[in-house]
Order: sequence, then C-alpha cells, then structure tokens
Amino acid sequence: MKLRLLAALLFAAGVLFLFFPILIVAPMSFSGDRFLGFPPKSWGLVWYRAYFSDPVWLAATWRSLRIATMASLIATLAGTAGVVGLAKIPPRWRAGISGLLLAPAIVPNVIVALGVFMLALRFGATDSEATLVLAHAAIGLPFVVMIVGGAYRQSDPLLEKAARVCGAGPFRAFWTATVPPLAPAILAAGIFAFFVSFDELVIALFLMGGAETLPVRIWNDLRFEINPTIAAISTFFVVVTALAMGLAEYLRARASRRQGNT
Amino acid sequence: MMRVTRRSILAAAALLPLIGGAAVAEDIELTYAGSGGGLAQVMDMLFDKPFTEKTGVRIKPLATTDRVSAMRAMMQAGNPIWDVAELTPVEYATASLEGWLEEIDWAAVDPNNLMPDDAKLKDGGVAATYSTILAQRTDKLPAGKKMASWADFWDVATFPGPRALQDSVLDNLEFALLADGVSAKDVYTVLSTPEGVDRAFAKLDQIKPHIVAWWTAGAQPVQMLSDGEVNYTSAWNGRITQLKKDGVAVEAVWNGGGLKPSYVGILKGTKHKAEAQQYVSFMITDPVRSAEFAKMVAYPGMVKGLYDHMDAEAGRELPTYPENLAGQFVTDAVFWAKNMDALQERWQEWLLD
Amino acid sequence: MSIGPRLTLAPAVALALLLFAVPVAFVLRESLFAPDLSLVHFERFLTRGVYIAVFEKTLAVSAAVSTICLLAGYPMALFIVTRPPRWRPLLLFLVLVPMWMSILVRTYAWMVVLGREGIVNNLLQWLGLTDGPATLLFTTGAVYVAMVQILLPIMVVTCYSAMTEIDPGLVRAARVFGAGPFRAFREVFLPLSLEGAVTGWSVTFILSMGFFIVPALVGGRKDMLLGNMIVNQVGQGNWGFAAVMAIVLLASTVALLGIVRLVASRFLYSPREEQA
Repeated sequence: MKLRLLAALLFAAGVLFLFFPILIVAPMSFSGDRFLGFPPKSWGLVWYRAYFSDPVWLAATWRSLRIATMASLIATLAGTAGVVGLAKIPPRWRAGISGLLLAPAIVPNVIVALGVFMLALRFGATDSEATLVLAHAAIGLPFVVMIVGGAYRQSDPLLEKAARVCGAGPFRAFWTATVPPLAPAILAAGIFAFFVSFDELVIALFLMGGAETLPVRIWNDLRFEINPTIAAISTFFVVVTALAMGLAEYLRARASRRQGNT
Repeated sequence: MMRVTRRSILAAAALLPLIGGAAVAEDIELTYAGSGGGLAQVMDMLFDKPFTEKTGVRIKPLATTDRVSAMRAMMQAGNPIWDVAELTPVEYATASLEGWLEEIDWAAVDPNNLMPDDAKLKDGGVAATYSTILAQRTDKLPAGKKMASWADFWDVATFPGPRALQDSVLDNLEFALLADGVSAKDVYTVLSTPEGVDRAFAKLDQIKPHIVAWWTAGAQPVQMLSDGEVNYTSAWNGRITQLKKDGVAVEAVWNGGGLKPSYVGILKGTKHKAEAQQYVSFMITDPVRSAEFAKMVAYPGMVKGLYDHMDAEAGRELPTYPENLAGQFVTDAVFWAKNMDALQERWQEWLLD
Repeated sequence: MSIGPRLTLAPAVALALLLFAVPVAFVLRESLFAPDLSLVHFERFLTRGVYIAVFEKTLAVSAAVSTICLLAGYPMALFIVTRPPRWRPLLLFLVLVPMWMSILVRTYAWMVVLGREGIVNNLLQWLGLTDGPATLLFTTGAVYVAMVQILLPIMVVTCYSAMTEIDPGLVRAARVFGAGPFRAFREVFLPLSLEGAVTGWSVTFILSMGFFIVPALVGGRKDMLLGNMIVNQVGQGNWGFAAVMAIVLLASTVALLGIVRLVASRFLYSPREEQA
C-alpha cells in the first residue's frame, strides 16, 4: 500500500513537472504587457485577439495541422507495414533495412533539410507542401518503426498463426489477430509522428519559406520580438486538445457502458 | 554520364509546365528571400503591394534563413528559385565573392542618383542598416554614472552587474579592440594581423567571467533586459527602441556600435532581371518610402534625404542619424567572409575554455 | 507469400530512400571534398580539441538526459498500467498534453522561470534557501531540465505501450506460485518490460543527440552540443565540415545503440525470436 502511494506521488510529481511550463505560459498568455513576464503586470485578452484576428497566424496553424496529420498518417501506415515486413524477410537483410528506416532519427534535421532542398531544386519541388509532408513522414518513420516494432516483437506470433490455421487469409489474420494488440503502440507512434512534424522547424524553413508553418512563424516572430502571442497560441492548443480528448474519452466510456462492458 | 543524362531529362520535364505557363500570360512573379515575420508584413504594406499596383509584377516573399547554403544549393542545381534576396553583410560578401549575384545597372536603378556611392555596389545595394549596440538598463546604473563606450562595458569596477554578449565572433572582436583603445577607423587594420586577433581575445578574457549569457537569438537580449536578467548587453538597435517605447528603462549607446548594411542582391540566372532591378529601385531609392519603413522598424535605408521626411525625435533612434553615426564602425563584410571560418573556430575554443 | 514482406516494406523503404537516404547522401558526400577529394574536414574534426570536447559533451548530456527520463518515465508508465483500464487513457493523456506546446515556447518559458528575477529564484529566497539570486539559467542544469521536460512524455508512452503487451496473467501466476510482489515484478514483469525501456532510452538518446535550440537558449557558454555546431556550419555554408560532424553523430549513435541493444538482448525476452 505504501508502495502504491509512493508511485502515485511520483506520478503526480512527474505530471506536475511536465505541466510546469504550461502553468507559466497560460497566465502569461492573458497578459496585457508587450513582453513575456511572470507574473504579468497587467491582464487582458489582447494576445488572443492578436492571434485570432491575424490571417497569417491562422493560416500557419491550419497548414501545420494539415501537414502534421498527413505526415503522421503516411509515416504510421508505411512504418507499421514496414515493421511486419521486416519480421518476415531473411535476417541478413533485416539489419540493413531496419537501419535505413531508423536512420532519419539520428541524422540532424538540418542535414536532411539541406539534402531534400538540393534534391527538390532539381525536380522543381521546392516551396511545396507535398515535399514537406513526405520529408516529415520520413523523419517520423523511425519513431513508428521503433515503437510499433518494440510492441510487435513482444506480441505473440501464435495468435496470427492460429488465425491462419483457422482459415483466415494472411491479410485478415494480420488485421484481426496481429493489429488489435498493437493498437496502443500504433496510436502512440502516430501521435509521435504527428508531433515530429508539428514541431519541426528546420526542414520547413528550407522548404516552405513562402508558406510558413506554425513553428516557422513562431521562429520568425521570435527573431524580432518575444510577445505573448506565442503564449496565447500554445495555451489555446493545450486547452483545445484537452477538451477534444476529454470529449472523445467521454464518448468512448459512454459507448462501452452501453455495450455493457467496462 | 548516365546520371547526368537522366538528370537533365528530369530537369527538362520539370521545366515544361513552367515554359508553357510563361508563354500564356504576362503574369510575372518575383520571389523575394527575406526574413518573414513582422518585417515581411511591413514590407508587404510599404513595398510589395504598391509595387504590384504600379507595375503589375507580383512579389512573393519567402521567410528564409541559412541563405548562403540555400544559394549554394541553387547555384549547384542551376535553379535559382529566388529572384531577389535580402542579405546580411557576410552573406552578401560570400555571395559576391562566389559570383552568385547579377551585376546591377545603377543607371537604371538609381537614375536620379539618390543613393550614396557606398550604398551602390557592383552586385548589391544597401536596403537597410542596423547596428549592434551597447544597451543599458538606466535604472540599474550606479548613481550619476552612465556607460558611454565599450571601455565602460569592460569596466566592472565602476559598472558592476550582470552582462550579456552575443555568441558570435563577429562584433565581439571589434568591441574588444575598441574597449582596448583602438579607434573605430583602425579596428580592421588591427584585426587583420594575428597580433590584433590575439589582442582582441586577450581583452575578451577580461570580461568573460562577467558575462552571464551569450545570446543567440535577437529577441533574447530584449527579454533579458526586461526580465532584469542582465543590466548591460549588446543588442540590435531596433529592439531597444521598441523596448524603450514599451516603458522599460533602457538606453542605447551608439558610440562603438557595429553598423551593418542589409543588402539586396539579384540572383544570377534569374529570368526576371529587369523586373528585379525595378523592384530594388522601388524599394531602396525613394526617400519617402524609406522614411516610412524606418519609422516602423528602425532599420533605415541609405537613400539621401530620408531624414527630411522624419521628425528629429524619431530620427535620433536610428543608426544612420548623423549624431549616432559618428562613433560607430561599419562591419567589414569582406574581412568576415574571408576569415569567419577560422575565427569562429577559435571563438568556440575560447568559449569552451 | 514470398512477395508479401517485400510489398509491405516497399512504402517505408521508398520513403526512407527518396526523402532521406538519397538527399542526405548528397550532403554527406561533401565531407570528402574541399573542393577536391580530400580528408581535411575529417582531419580538422579530429585534430582540433574543441570538436572532440563538444562531441563528448553531447554524448554525456544525451546519456544523462535519457537516463533521467528512464528513471522518471518507467515508474510513471508502471503507475498508469497498474490502474484500472478506464483510468489509463486519462493518465496517459495528462502526460501527452504538454507536447501541444511548441518546444520554442516551452524553452522561453523556462527562461522566464529560471531567471535571476524569475519565480524559482523568488521562491528560493522567500523560503530562505538562498540569500541572493542563484544562477539557474544558462547552466547545464537548465539544459537538463528543459530537455527532460520535452522528452519525458516519449519515454512514458514507449514504456507504457510495451507494458500493455505483458500478459497480467503471468505476474498473477508468479504470485500464485508464491512469489512476493517485489519478486514477481523483478522476475517476470521487469524483464518483459525491458524491451520498452530500451526502446524508450534509445529514442530519447537519439533525439537528445540532435538538440540545438534548447542548449542555445538556456545553456551556458560551455553547453554547446554537436547539433549547434552542425547548424552553425550549415548557416555558414560549410557543407563539408557540417557533413563530417553529421557522420560522427550518426556513427557514434549507431555504435552506442548497438552496444545497448547487445547488452540488453541478454536480458530481453522475445517470443518471435525464440521461435525463429
């Protein structure tokens, strides 16, 4: 019992630490001052107004959400399929190919950025959202391969075999027997791939100068001045996701209650 | 050989739609590689929109960094996707030495001869100027005293308190020599000798223990001054003007400031050189427009007569205001383009030491 | 059937080749040219002490940050996985929410918090723990704090997703056969969850190795990491030397992770490999 209390305390401390910047940034976003300061000297909604009335900020936000969603989908699908493929190819190929899929995480983004830019110049594909989506998918890939791969190695291959024995085709066996236990890992991987893109600055700077993503927009703003607009955006995002995920959770819980299982 | 052939076919294929498009319409768009952010919004209002109204040529502003790398990649690929670029002194000098810029026909760009000769280079023009200056919190100064030079910045006995400098070898070596008694006009003569570099680093050794932060982003010194993190720091002049307007007790020391032209250049191989020159002319050779720009961002151009369109109070905040200009030195772009790599390495060794 | 794995691998391999391997090869090739074929860039890296020092610092900071993340993240994941299932999404969600705040913004928030006149210093002085403002900002400690805050959620989720794979029946079985709770954990749960821990450590380590914005903003003058230097070199247009540093980063990370995996594999349990 003592151990459990200790674990709960530790968890609470960890969450508090993770939330610490939010607890600082949220009040600053309601500042009436021109500079970041804690606690703010005056209060107001000026920075929310500044954000929501500025088409450039809003466009950058939508663009980033769009790019991150696409990149995450591509990385998650390609990565999950890749994990399964990896397990089934001859081991002598495995090291090389898994190395290739993991490498984008290790090479600094600025090198990837420069390389993709050089290549894109040759194909006239600079300043293109599609190029950025694919580049972000490539750097998100390693996280999918690692997270889903870790879970896949732990999962029981007998399930899939059993499904095959019972007459399911390879795709159906995979889909009904292998995927469900992997779902949390796939979801986690998708979320990470999303954030890899959503927070990525350097590649976007090289490829998307004309149409700023949110990090590029924030970066450009920070080079000149720090004002609480960025605090307002961040706070807004945290609140919106909290609400969205809370709602999803509520709906899920209600649905499962209706089905009669917990 | 195989690779070259395939590449050229691909390049040709990629170009096809472009050629088709150009043949149909007169619709010309210039790509301008700038800084993005708030500056781009000001430029859009003062330069881009009026220029399009006047000429029909549209301007597509890009937010760019690492411009030397980007230009090198473009030149290697033979595909300059920028038409006009805004360049820092080192970027301009590098691009010029490498031959990445088109020559500018100044007779066409500045027919009324409104630009001083210093601002008209073979392959670039000065669009704006900014200065790295010494900024001080006036409410944290010892009673009755005020910093007036880099020598004061080094004088920790008279002016105690936390200080910051930029994490950059450019500027700091110059500041150190000025603090060591070298006059502004001799800075680069001294710095181009190994003994001069040693002398600068030796002077920097003295101040190193008193520097709490080596800033890397232009917004940082502003934040640190307003937070009370430091009392004295080097900073970009425009930020300090803004901070002062916002009610923080700060003041710029123009004496010893490192004045830097911000250049515009036209990329070699652009398909729209004539329009690019027109745009450069529109942007930098009109005193009224340049004065408007300087009022908004504190980075004035060099066109003659700019201060006639500005009241003295606003003018006093600008780096090229005659009074402010006196004590500053102009950053030697070519010196830095040639020596940056070696001096940067020594700087990093010095920082880690 | 033999075509199957190749097909499922194709999208991932194509993506990694076209958007990563080929473009990066373009850049890394530059390491050998100066501008003619030459090894001067490698020589420069090896002979100037500053680069080796930065490299060592990068390794040390990355190892420390990922180890701190593991020590904090593993118990947090364990706590979540031992809650009733309907609580878990909420707890996981608490860990993930902070990721919605841009890293740049979070880093600036630390600057405000840790400054001389920031709330941490005010609190310390109010509590009487320090007399004057303590130096918290622009220190290696500040770099650790900011990096751990960014990477901890990744560790928790990675550990968690591996832990959910563990059949709780196994732990129960151990208890039934007389193992105490601690022993059941150590002998059954810990080895089974090690895969997730190793993956989590690897992921955070890899990410740490590439950090540059955080150390540049909250670190001191000695807290330069290899990522900063690579960004600087690219900024100056020195592709050759930037490429050398990227190669060093890549090679050392791969080697280190290989060692970690090799050591860990002695303790790992993998049903798939046992059958193979």
